[in-house]
Amino acid sequence: MTILNESGASDVLSPLHAVNGLAERLASALVVVVGTRAEAHIAQSLPTAPSPTLPRTSLNPRVAFVVLDPEEPPQQGRVASRVIETAAGLRGTELVLLVAGRSAELLGLDAEFEARLVARRLDLPCAAVNPDASYGSPGALSTDLEDRVLASLVAACPERKTSDLLENASPTKRGGLLSGFIGRGRDEVRAGRSRPVVLLGASTSPESAREIYAHLDRARVDVVGSVPGERAGDLPALGEGTVVAVMDPNLTAAARAAEERGARVVRTLMPIGVDGTARFIQDVAAEAGPRANEQSRARAAWKGLEPLRNRIRGKRIFFAGDTGFEVPLARFLADAGAVVLEVGAPRLDKRFLATEIQALGPDVDVVESPDWRGQIGRIDAARPDVVVASPGIHVPLVARGHLCRSPRDFLESGVHGYEGARRILELLVRTFERAEALDSVNL
Amino acid sequence: MRLLRGVYEGPGSHGILRVAASMRGVHAVLRALPSEGYFPALYGASERSGEAAPVTLSPLGESQGGSWEPGDLARDLSNVVRRHPETEAVILARSEVALLSGEPIPETSLPESEETGQPPKLVTCEWEAPDVGETEAANLALENLVKAHAQSRRERSPAPTVNLFGPPVFAPAAAAEYAEAERLLALIGVGVNARVPLGASAGDLGRLTRAWANVLLYREVGESATLYLQDECGMQRVTTPMLGAAGTGAALRTVGELCHLSPKKVQQAVWAELARTAKLPWYARLHKPETFRDRRVAIFGDVTYPLGLGYALAREVGLEVVACGTYLGHLERDFLFHAHTFTDEAFVEDDPEEVAARIEASEPDLVVGTHLEEGVADSLDIPFLPFCAPTTYSPFVGRPLMGYTGSSVLADALDGALGLTEEEPEVLEPAGMPWADDALDELAGIPPFLRGRARRLAEERAHELGSEEISREIFLQSRL
Repeated sequence: MTILNESGASDVLSPLHAVNGLAERLASALVVVVGTRAEAHIAQSLPTAPSPTLPRTSLNPRVAFVVLDPEEPPQQGRVASRVIETAAGLRGTELVLLVAGRSAELLGLDAEFEARLVARRLDLPCAAVNPDASYGSPGALSTDLEDRVLASLVAACPERKTSDLLENASPTKRGGLLSGFIGRGRDEVRAGRSRPVVLLGASTSPESAREIYAHLDRARVDVVGSVPGERAGDLPALGEGTVVAVMDPNLTAAARAAEERGARVVRTLMPIGVDGTARFIQDVAAEAGPRANEQSRARAAWKGLEPLRNRIRGKRIFFAGDTGFEVPLARFLADAGAVVLEVGAPRLDKRFLATEIQALGPDVDVVESPDWRGQIGRIDAARPDVVVASPGIHVPLVARGHLCRSPRDFLESGVHGYEGARRILELLVRTFERAEALDSVNL
Repeated sequence: MRLLRGVYEGPGSHGILRVAASMRGVHAVLRALPSEGYFPALYGASERSGEAAPVTLSPLGESQGGSWEPGDLARDLSNVVRRHPETEAVILARSEVALLSGEPIPETSLPESEETGQPPKLVTCEWEAPDVGETEAANLALENLVKAHAQSRRERSPAPTVNLFGPPVFAPAAAAEYAEAERLLALIGVGVNARVPLGASAGDLGRLTRAWANVLLYREVGESATLYLQDECGMQRVTTPMLGAAGTGAALRTVGELCHLSPKKVQQAVWAELARTAKLPWYARLHKPETFRDRRVAIFGDVTYPLGLGYALAREVGLEVVACGTYLGHLERDFLFHAHTFTDEAFVEDDPEEVAARIEASEPDLVVGTHLEEGVADSLDIPFLPFCAPTTYSPFVGRPLMGYTGSSVLADALDGALGLTEEEPEVLEPAGMPWADDALDELAGIPPFLRGRARRLAEERAHELGSEEISREIFLQSRL
């Protein structure tokens, strides 16, 4: 494994495209984008899941835009009153997200202050989210907004005090996403005195998060909740003594926010792919208390995937995505027998992803901040069997005769867990099958 | 500061990029945060041409001095020339964040291009400001590009030719509009010297002054450039929108005059087309007057299409235009002047909710608008035609709305839309159901563009429950 920094301009879809998707996923949240016309235009023009098909635009009543006048700096509290008016028109709002980036900052808006004002006046959690906040290293990922929103949700979680450790976590705070599972033999698990675990991530595919939950539950780990929960207002207690298990590789800021709350963030592989899931469950269980051994399960999973692995063995895959999920996906596919030619990472947090990077096979090259023109050139030269391509280069690559898949397709199908591993392989096999069927037509 | 549910126009930089991506040999450098890049994705999704968008991002505020990473604007500008030797002009677009950050435009000159041996022209768009919207910026950027390239030495083409100034990329069926105009001009014996901006190269811009006149198909983007050519080179322009059979005929006759053609020959070509291609007058004559009597239409969009379609629908078809609006505030005077020739209800508004409320209040039977009006038509349960920019409609085969073929496309669409509603049985029984006051209060809290549908759902629910009145509870239930 080598990491090369190309210092180029990467093709990354604006993170703001996720606004509509987040509003849908976090039902009962109100998302207010504060900024100039540009932010509103981005959030509105880009489809929920970017793909080379038509951008569909539907006005989501849970998304609103506050467009600031560049000539006239906003008075303190004005934005907050607008947000409150909007929230009043919507029933059942449990959370308000105030997305305010660099332009709002340059126009002199104090988003934190406005958010506090909204929270106080509406008596609801309200978080200011800055999608343009610096990550310390240059570049952006198209999933940055999800990360920032989860970071704000973590910060909005009720505090968990040390005294709580003596009692059991309050049962009322559990539920939501996990409510279907909770209640079964729960008391007996708690007798095992495991530390409470909060799952972080999987905002695009809640089903695969449920699977991870089921595995941890089986390993007698006490999962008290997840961020995000089923509804926007479901937030587990999080603080000292909580173990936070991060499921997505792009959640740098959210993981940092959890650490700042005093929680322990498990440093392990992401639960993506067979080995990733096994390591994740083992390590999270070890951190929380009970020991778990996933070896036999992982072996069984690999065995079950054998027919699918045979279909992708030796296939050459080029990762040119912009979501930050590329490294774990490449790790799994290389283990499953595919040949990973290159993994492009528009931004790579080497510390956060240390375990992932170490687990990459010896033949996998990572290119940090790849130049998109360079990527197209290397793809043309290498002629991979499939390219996982970011939206800006997707259509040009298809036009050059390459087989492409959008990285979001993987995310939405749900990549977590053993079943997620199957879905990843199935998605690829489907892609190859369709390409073969189309190639066989005599045009 | 305004609270909006959507925007009709993007920022100025988006307009500059649209003009640049329409042309050949023009490369745009977008000065913006790395998280502000979305043009390549939109370009791929809506043009589906397979070409990568000719846009390079120069990330703002990330440059770590001394390294070769992109971020230094002057260096990024010259790198474009090195990486794309075919570039003949480089245009700089700055995002709103870049503008607000107050960063100056570097004094720089571009290196010589390997292919042409000359440095490409650099257009810096110094007029860019946060309050210049997409369309206005596209208009000014095109003027800058034309100024940079057009040669004032005037040497007319031997046979009459005109320049077409039409819509840029992302406009619905832009290429089809140029093609239809070109076809009609060929029928009266006028060639096309250049199509601007779609598909034009820098060389075409240099040859603009060879044409005998400029035909302005889409004034939103071509206005300033053609005015410049009129003032500097005395090139006259044809501004009548080529929409509907009357508008197309008027435009063709003006072109004929400017190109000194025999009016008789032009009229013959027009008649031949009216007999063969133009079906809108035919459609209007075929249907009985009752089909169109008291049918109300609301139109909203940019400027050319609402005006041209409004005129055609009001005069050629005989519908009542009960609302006609634009979101382009900077063209307000022009728009209102022209719109008042066929409607009393012309307005300028760029808040989609206000537009929805106005359309709703005008009680139309048909809505012609941008994709943002679809929800209003939907909630009023009336037909909708997405004929005005911006739309998300980007077909592989574009059908023109302009010219005589376009008039037939319009006739087909009207036939479908008006024919459908006509046959609908007029029961709509729950419409008159009484509402409790607290239920009305709840309804008022719903955004206008969703209100119609919410009202309908509540009335259906009350009907199901066999209730005489819509109470707050029934209303809330219907919204679950």
